[in-house]
Amino acid sequence: MMPPGFETELIYSFVIILCSLMIYFGTKSIYKLSSYKGINYFRKAFLFFAVALFFRYFIKFILLYFKFGRIFDFKFGMIAMLIFMYFSLIAIFYLIYSLMWKKKKFRESYLHITALIITIISLIFIIPNLYFIINLLLFIFLVYIVYTKFRKSKKKNLYLIYTLLLIFWILNIIDILVPNFLPFQILIYLASITIFMIITYRVLKKIG
Amino acid sequence: MKRGKLEIIKDILTIIQYNKSIKITPLLRKSNLSSTRFYDYINELKEKDLVKENNNKIILTEKGFDYLSKYKNIIGFIEEFDL
Repeated sequence: MMPPGFETELIYSFVIILCSLMIYFGTKSIYKLSSYKGINYFRKAFLFFAVALFFRYFIKFILLYFKFGRIFDFKFGMIAMLIFMYFSLIAIFYLIYSLMWKKKKFRESYLHITALIITIISLIFIIPNLYFIINLLLFIFLVYIVYTKFRKSKKKNLYLIYTLLLIFWILNIIDILVPNFLPFQILIYLASITIFMIITYRVLKKIG
Repeated sequence: MKRGKLEIIKDILTIIQYNKSIKITPLLRKSNLSSTRFYDYINELKEKDLVKENNNKIILTEKGFDYLSKYKNIIGFIEEFDL
């Protein structure tokens, strides 16, 4: 018998992973034709979202099925957390970089190295407040970047969507780091799914 | 108005498509590019298999035709997500 909440986690993860992979594979042909870097970074963001959500589901499954209080109580919990945090960070980095690559050019490897360093620092000190603060600071920084683009852009709706995506990303991280901390979890899940479905719809509409 | 890279590629491919096959020199003239930039573009188009050379003339490949048919989608997508 499956523990309570299992179906919710399964549906949530499945929908987000499906949307992310639809975006990744749906944009394959236009990237192959154009080799446009912005499209590449955008695709990678959603590929890494899919991977992150997969590991998030794995962590949730372990927590629910074995009734661990925290993922670190599980033998391989640290590895699962490391993978989840790394991929969720790198997904956000690629999404933001897809918006700013024309003005600020740097090597993709720097994104990976930065994500890895933040992940490792967050996990070395297994204190919820510390890694929450690191992710919160990162969140504020990224919202600032999105906002500066928002002010100059005509695509106001797009930046609203991206800001909501950042908010739900940080809430997802909190949910994993501190289980059962968030009230109204189902509403957060529904809102996250809605955001991803809106982005998927906009992508598929444009690529034809 | 300055053309972006994708637009330049589209313009070159359109010229080739219109002429069905075209020699390098007339293509260079019609492309409105310096010779250095033109040859950079042509080499890139060959590498990406958007064009090929046949009897000293440049022709579109299937991928080149595909690029032209999907150009609006590509630009629309880039603009939609501000990439």
